[in-house]
Amino acid sequence: MRFLKLWHYIEANSRGLILLDIAYFVVLTPLLLFVKAPMLLFLLLVAILLIFKKRRGNITLIVVALLGFFAIFLSLYGAFNFLGLSRLKIFVELIIYLLLLAVSLQRLSGKINLYLLISPALLLALSLFFFKSIFMLFYLIFEIFILLWLILSYFMQTSFIESLKMAGSFFALSLPWVVILFIFFPRISFEHASYGFHGDNIRRTGHDGKMYLDTKALLVPSNRIVMEVSFPKRVPADNRLYFRGSVLYKNMIDHWEALPHKIKRRFSPKHYLQNGMVQKEADTIAYKVSLYPTFKTWLYQLDLPIEAPKGARIDADFEVKLSKPISEVQHYEAGSVLNYRYGKYISKDVLKYALDVNATRNPKSAKLAKELILDYPKAKERLNALLNIFKEANLSYSLQPKPLDLNHSTDDFLFNKKEGYCVHFANSFVTLARLAKLPARVVTGYKAKHSNSVKNYLVIREKDAHAWTEIYIKEHWIRIDPTTTAKRIDIKSAKLLSKNSSNNIKGELQTINLYILYWKYQIQSWILNYSHFRQMKLLNSLKDRDFALKFISSLVGLIIFSILLMIYLRRTPCPNKISCLMARLFKRLKKEGYTQKTGETLHQLFSRYSSKDIRKIEDIQNIDRLYHQVRYSKESYRFKNLRRAILDFLRKKY
Amino acid sequence: MNEILAPKFIPIVDEIESHLLGKRHIITLTLCAFFAGGHVLLEDIPGVGKTTLAKNFARVMGLDFGRIQFTSDLLPSDILGVSYFDQNSGNFVLKKGAIFTQFLLADEINRSMPKTQSALLEAMEEGYITIDGKSYHLKEPFFVIATQNPFEEVGTFLLPHSQLDRFFCSFGIGYPDKMAERKILLGEEINLTSFNEPLPILSQDEIMKIIREVKEVYLSDEMLEYLQNIIAFTRESGLFYYGLSTRGALALTAMIRSWAYLHGRDFAIPDDLQAVVGEVCLHRLNFKEGKNTLERIRRELLSQIHINS
Repeated sequence: MRFLKLWHYIEANSRGLILLDIAYFVVLTPLLLFVKAPMLLFLLLVAILLIFKKRRGNITLIVVALLGFFAIFLSLYGAFNFLGLSRLKIFVELIIYLLLLAVSLQRLSGKINLYLLISPALLLALSLFFFKSIFMLFYLIFEIFILLWLILSYFMQTSFIESLKMAGSFFALSLPWVVILFIFFPRISFEHASYGFHGDNIRRTGHDGKMYLDTKALLVPSNRIVMEVSFPKRVPADNRLYFRGSVLYKNMIDHWEALPHKIKRRFSPKHYLQNGMVQKEADTIAYKVSLYPTFKTWLYQLDLPIEAPKGARIDADFEVKLSKPISEVQHYEAGSVLNYRYGKYISKDVLKYALDVNATRNPKSAKLAKELILDYPKAKERLNALLNIFKEANLSYSLQPKPLDLNHSTDDFLFNKKEGYCVHFANSFVTLARLAKLPARVVTGYKAKHSNSVKNYLVIREKDAHAWTEIYIKEHWIRIDPTTTAKRIDIKSAKLLSKNSSNNIKGELQTINLYILYWKYQIQSWILNYSHFRQMKLLNSLKDRDFALKFISSLVGLIIFSILLMIYLRRTPCPNKISCLMARLFKRLKKEGYTQKTGETLHQLFSRYSSKDIRKIEDIQNIDRLYHQVRYSKESYRFKNLRRAILDFLRKKY
Repeated sequence: MNEILAPKFIPIVDEIESHLLGKRHIITLTLCAFFAGGHVLLEDIPGVGKTTLAKNFARVMGLDFGRIQFTSDLLPSDILGVSYFDQNSGNFVLKKGAIFTQFLLADEINRSMPKTQSALLEAMEEGYITIDGKSYHLKEPFFVIATQNPFEEVGTFLLPHSQLDRFFCSFGIGYPDKMAERKILLGEEINLTSFNEPLPILSQDEIMKIIREVKEVYLSDEMLEYLQNIIAFTRESGLFYYGLSTRGALALTAMIRSWAYLHGRDFAIPDDLQAVVGEVCLHRLNFKEGKNTLERIRRELLSQIHINS
């Protein structure tokens, strides 16, 4: 309660108001990025009034209040219905606007009250609803530091530098306790907490799970990060980095679709897992994924997922899906098997769909397939022959190919245009395989690049999106990536894809960027996303003696570091070497009860000190003489002598 | 640090002290003001040895001694001199006044008219005098000890502040302590050397050399910082009606240098300042409240400012 009384001491003088204005400026800065234009205009108006209109009567305040309500109304127009109010974010937004209005009016009145004083903290807390990034974390630390400094500088009534030092030492002192609290304070899982608001569950519907041949929509080489993956050890080899998305069976002329829901799937993934799908135990791999909002339902996992994260499920085609589109960052632990073999228990319906092809659409391909069937009765040889056909067809990879004739897409691609991107390769390969009586399907997802990894960290961008195929052969599905058969890549696409790596400097920049991403990810995963789960994991691993030792010693190290930092900040300034040396002597004198009084010369202090102990007189007089010579005379070369005299004195036992 | 005087000054102080028992500090201060090129104002009751100090000082330093007893009818021309027409030579001739000497004792300066006072004080300040449009330089070294009775009596004119400022320092002599007084009462203080016999310990050349060397005593940055802090304190603390003037500050600096030199150093230390600051400021500063005493001025000035080490 004592704290609450403090505000009475804050007078509405210019100093207090200036400090308060600085506090508001710092706190409002992130909010300005988020408030809507009418509210921004309102805040601008308030700022102008504060600066230019020194006398503000009641009428001004009433007008400003009305304008404020109008601005709030305009800002929330459209969202302003009962449905909207049930959404947490809209509700918080409304609260922020009302708070801003109240604060503006109070500030315009020129009087400081309790609410004006605590509102920076409130606004700071509210702004956390909207910004949950690493930058906000740093800004938050900055904000807290500035607020602390402003409070100190008000109450200390000293120079800004002095209060800055004090704030710094406060910070240094609190650092280890913050870290310890952060690590050990019980975490509550807010995963599904919606604070009683259900409006946020209204979702944007995805239109995905399809592969379009006529648009480039799927494959815009965008640098947006889709997900970040951290592996327990090293990132697997390049040819293993296929992140499985959706599996497509139905050729709809201009696009491919998944299997209709009505098709009964007799076997679940469990089935396959129990029947020796995993060849070697060593090939299973667990890793952590941070998936950024995609507004789709897929949780991408390395081929082949064997374990679905909590809340998701794996279907018979090993697609991992959530029931709702992803609108917030997902962090999940995933398990995959890199070397797999499954498909023994496949239903006839699925096989039927995997062979479904319309031969009349691609007559040339159908003819070719017929020949293949005759020449290679064995499925495996036929598949190899198929791949050879693709290799010999002299196909080129292009992100901007000439549009295909969609009615004869495979023929057009293989024999005519001979250029396209992964979608076209996959489309043609599956069609040709089916014509050659090989069950085939398209798989879409992401194909990560090993070059986008640092240590055990891998970043996957939108441009890594990919489509490949799976062929059912010898009672199991194998992955075939027909895009690898491309003989060349056209220059334009090459440029588009590897915008950065074309010259050395840019290549290095890319590497630096990757490292920045890596560290950002590390901080994010251990600080921002430090959850109950991670906490338990950390505490569990403390059982390991080596780890516990490292952990505790680093905590102790942090405490020592912060104490040292505080001592450093609060040390008495030592402007030159003479002062530093004398400080050591004074420390000794202080121990024995002698300190320099205000107005006392050192000569007097030394006389006072040595008069009590005759044995010291000679040494002290020597120091006295040398000190005054060094400090006050023209020649300064005698410092060494003074140093020796003082050190000798400090060492000597009387 | 040596609080002890440099060897060559010890016989001087010893000699004067033998006539003014127990007043070593006063004697040293007088010597200090002399070498600093300033003048001294003695403020004390009659009969504590003001004249004894002055006379002995002149004798020991081997200076021409002149004395003026200030009275209410003393005219400026009595001090400076007067030019008269010499009928024999047919020229105007200057009849030199008492000021044409090296060491002047201006006794009871406050008993004369302000006009006469200022004639002396201006001559002290400038180092030369002008009579009938002709300038006459005073002898070097030129040193004045003025005495003043601190109690206002009828027919006295206390020196105004602007005139007081021309003295480097002012102090009283004070009563002797018990032991010294007993010796005086027993007549033991009378030295074997005659009271009036000149006893120059330093030659005139040596004196002039010392005066020159005093001006070169080194003041370090730290020392100047401390000095300026003290000066600023007199001006800003609000304790005094007005602070130390720049002339006062210059006097203080010169005194510090001289004090350091007397103690055998070619650089000044804070102790030098502390030794002389009271006497330099006593007649320059006036407390808004309470009495002006040497002790109080020293205490107020020195106990407030920290000396950085």
